[in-house]
Amino acid sequence: MSEMKKIKNLKEFSTSADRFEGANLLCPGCAHSIIVREVLNATNDDLILSASTGCLEVCTAVYPYTSWDASWIHIGFENGSTAVAGAEAMYKALKTKKRLKQPDRNPKFVSFAGDGASYDIGFQWISGCMERGHNMMHVVLDNEVYANTGGQRSSSTPIGSSATTSPAGRVSYGEKKNKKDMVAIMASHGIPYSAQVAPNKWKDMVKKIQHGMEVDGPVFINAVSPCTTEWKFDPKDTMLLTDLSTDSLVFPLYEIIDGHELNITYRPKEKDIVPVEEYLAAQGRFKHLFKDQYKYLIKEWQERVDANWAYLNRREEARV
Amino acid sequence: MAFDKMELRDIEVWDGNFAAAQALRQCQIDVVAAYPITPSTPIVEGYAKFLSDNYVEGEFVMVESEHAAMSGCIGASAAGGRVATATSSQGFALMVETLYQASGMRLPIILNVVNRALAAPLNVNGDHSDMYLGRDSGWIQLDAYSPQGAYDLNFIAFKVAEDHDVRLPAMVHQDGFMTSHTAQGVHTLSDDVAYNFVGDFKPMNDMLDFEHPVTHGVQTEEDWHFEHKARQHNDMMTKVLPKIQAAFDDFEKLTGRKYNIVERYDMDDADVAVVCMGTSVETAREVATEMRAKGIKAGVVGIRVVRPFPFFEIAEALKGVKAIAALDRSAPGGAPGMLFNELAGCLFNSEERPMLSGYVYGLGGRDLTKKHLVDLYTELQANVDAGKVTTQLQQFIGVRGPKLAFL
Amino acid sequence: MANTGWDEFEIGAMLRTFEGEAGDIAGTLQEDRKYTENSSFSASVADWRIEKPIFAKDYCIDCQFCWIYCPDMSIISRDKKMIGIDMDHCKGCGICVEVCPTNPKSLLMFPEQADEEAELAQWPAKETKEK
Ligand SMILES: Cc1ncc(C[n+]2csc(CCOP(=O)(O)OP(=O)(O)O)c2C)c(N)n1
Ligand code: SF4
Ligand code: SF4
Ligand code: SF4
Ligand SMILES: [Mg+2]
Repeated sequence: MSEMKKIKNLKEFSTSADRFEGANLLCPGCAHSIIVREVLNATNDDLILSASTGCLEVCTAVYPYTSWDASWIHIGFENGSTAVAGAEAMYKALKTKKRLKQPDRNPKFVSFAGDGASYDIGFQWISGCMERGHNMMHVVLDNEVYANTGGQRSSSTPIGSSATTSPAGRVSYGEKKNKKDMVAIMASHGIPYSAQVAPNKWKDMVKKIQHGMEVDGPVFINAVSPCTTEWKFDPKDTMLLTDLSTDSLVFPLYEIIDGHELNITYRPKEKDIVPVEEYLAAQGRFKHLFKDQYKYLIKEWQERVDANWAYLNRREEARV
Repeated sequence: MAFDKMELRDIEVWDGNFAAAQALRQCQIDVVAAYPITPSTPIVEGYAKFLSDNYVEGEFVMVESEHAAMSGCIGASAAGGRVATATSSQGFALMVETLYQASGMRLPIILNVVNRALAAPLNVNGDHSDMYLGRDSGWIQLDAYSPQGAYDLNFIAFKVAEDHDVRLPAMVHQDGFMTSHTAQGVHTLSDDVAYNFVGDFKPMNDMLDFEHPVTHGVQTEEDWHFEHKARQHNDMMTKVLPKIQAAFDDFEKLTGRKYNIVERYDMDDADVAVVCMGTSVETAREVATEMRAKGIKAGVVGIRVVRPFPFFEIAEALKGVKAIAALDRSAPGGAPGMLFNELAGCLFNSEERPMLSGYVYGLGGRDLTKKHLVDLYTELQANVDAGKVTTQLQQFIGVRGPKLAFL
Repeated sequence: MANTGWDEFEIGAMLRTFEGEAGDIAGTLQEDRKYTENSSFSASVADWRIEKPIFAKDYCIDCQFCWIYCPDMSIISRDKKMIGIDMDHCKGCGICVEVCPTNPKSLLMFPEQADEEAELAQWPAKETKEK
């Protein structure tokens, strides 16, 4: 096993040499990129990467340009996880057969995919990768929508969000279904590590990514990725939105070890907890919820977030 | 190397599936990612068992669908090693998206396709619907007519597909049950001879070469896509057949077994000919011999290489023939059959422009009987005698109910 | 590459990031890497910008918030110090300005045509917190 990269503080982190390049085609202020940077910079080891079809993929490998400084593959929308799993299997085979060109390296296998590619169309592929125990990490860039194709709902889209296929209108408040709890589903595969992360809490992110890269076996990471285009906020406010998402506890940060041991990794002080209403108010996709007839939904949102937070706390306490 | 070699008798009694599995073992596949489906399952089960018994070194990844099987194969192949899998029918259909991705990325994956009908209605038996479904996917397609062919053509497939001038994936087809589950004597190669024929895998643009990071699977829009597809088609059209011929020649020198891009039987002076694929070739050969005893100069052309389509080789094989039957074993879905159309394409500009009629047969594993073929040759001879096609151009044979003919 | 024909590029639309051997990329700064013309590092998105950030070094405390949160690898930090902005890759999102904690801010957004020296000369003074 290689040495884990030492990242004591942000200054030390800032000496990292990025392996993801600019002049990609992601929107100004896109959080996908911030997440990718934090993940890649968490290690100095060699990387074998994939992206499933989606914003990250279509914006970073548009011929004749690539923004990737490590080997990278895209096959389709649903199968980026399995692409990496296949590469990982080949790595094992060539290692056994002593055919690796650089046998002393210690590559990390990471697949990036959107929530659409993970919660929906690629669900089965990811489940297969997690179940089979590949030594790989799947990172979801969770912007709760099919952003690349213009904002259709996914099973990660939360209640009340206006998506193009579940638009708010005169008689509809938009998306009717609650977001799927993907971290729980993946954890219940019994994988050694799963976690939710956010790019504003870079230290928490790096710690989790490093842990995930060290453990033997599949790792699932869900990263909140505020999308300026589909959440409808000003690009400069990406980090503000990320702060609101973690501090309102809409995106609580936690990890699940070996499928059961849950630890909350970010616990805002009582006085710093932001009302969910503020999180919603900062985004155009929830604008209609502030009409009188839908205000009850904001209350229900808060209750759901509170209940989930209480549940996570109970699980942490119970150590199960 | 740390695996054990296997002692084979000169002739083993193998079915097509086991023959293919043995070929995969002898090629020492690095990664097999697979999903079971009748009738191809025993091929990957065979590889798994060889792995369990230490007759091969590699990774067997039993995935959760055929789409994932080919996705895993693509990842593994791009990583840089020898990759193979097998499927049939519905599994093949589920793979289709990834077939185009594999060929577009120029990854030399070998897919054993044990041909089977496509639902609905569900059917596990052999016809060529899956083979036809893959015909525009950019894969090389080789067709075996027997367990021996299923064994031998795997070696040819690896040798050609992995060649750096080619770098295209290849399918080795065999007929479901008729070949896959019918045991016959198969002349074997020793492990060393077989492996040396194929040679070591030579990586190209391999992701696992950390000194040369590569980006695979890019986006190309209207400014680049056409050039890449054109390049791929060019390589398929110009590079593959010569490499296949060279591999056939080498293989003949090594084993004495001769394969041809287009197989001809009794074609030298034939007036009437049947063009077909798979096990039907063998049946047609027997009937052609019988027809000759009756004074009809019958011949058979078997397509060995389905893609790239051997346009000139087929025209050449059919030179001088007066009436030809194209036998399509796949429901044509509102068109003449694929073989009919492609033969028409390569004969249309010929000087003699022979008479061509199409027959749809054998769907869902329905037997092609000798009687069918006798009638068919008789019809062809009647066409010759009349100097024109006397039947409709598309006829269904072997189906119950009133006669079905179109066009 | 703009007008290359179908026979003039790598098969499979494969792209390479570096000329020759990559070496220890994670340990090599961008200025020391041998990028190919296919790396987007060689390209520019400067024309996307309507506004651009200007960096006033004097106020900077090298906290590196701008470095970590810039989505476009455009904050150049060397030896733990913020030294400038990569104007070929900056898309002008303004995140760096938002996250800059100093008072006055060490980064501010200006119209793309603004003159850097002039703006630096008239940098806003320290704000006194209302409330
Ligand atoms: C098989 C298939 N179905 C549909 C699409 C169209 N498609 C491409 S990306 C995309 C949405 C991506 O959403 P997500 O995974 O959430 O990623 P994001 O763009 O939001 O980052 C869709 C629907 C496709 N490329 N392939
Ligand atoms: S649409 Fe959203 S996710 Fe996609 S590139 Fe733009 S900001 Fe990023
Ligand atoms: S404006 Fe945006 S892209 Fe430019 S340096 Fe600041 S954070 Fe980076
Ligand atoms: S955020 Fe501001 S203070 Fe911190 S390093 Fe960047 S410019 Fe300097
Ligand atoms: Mg999304």
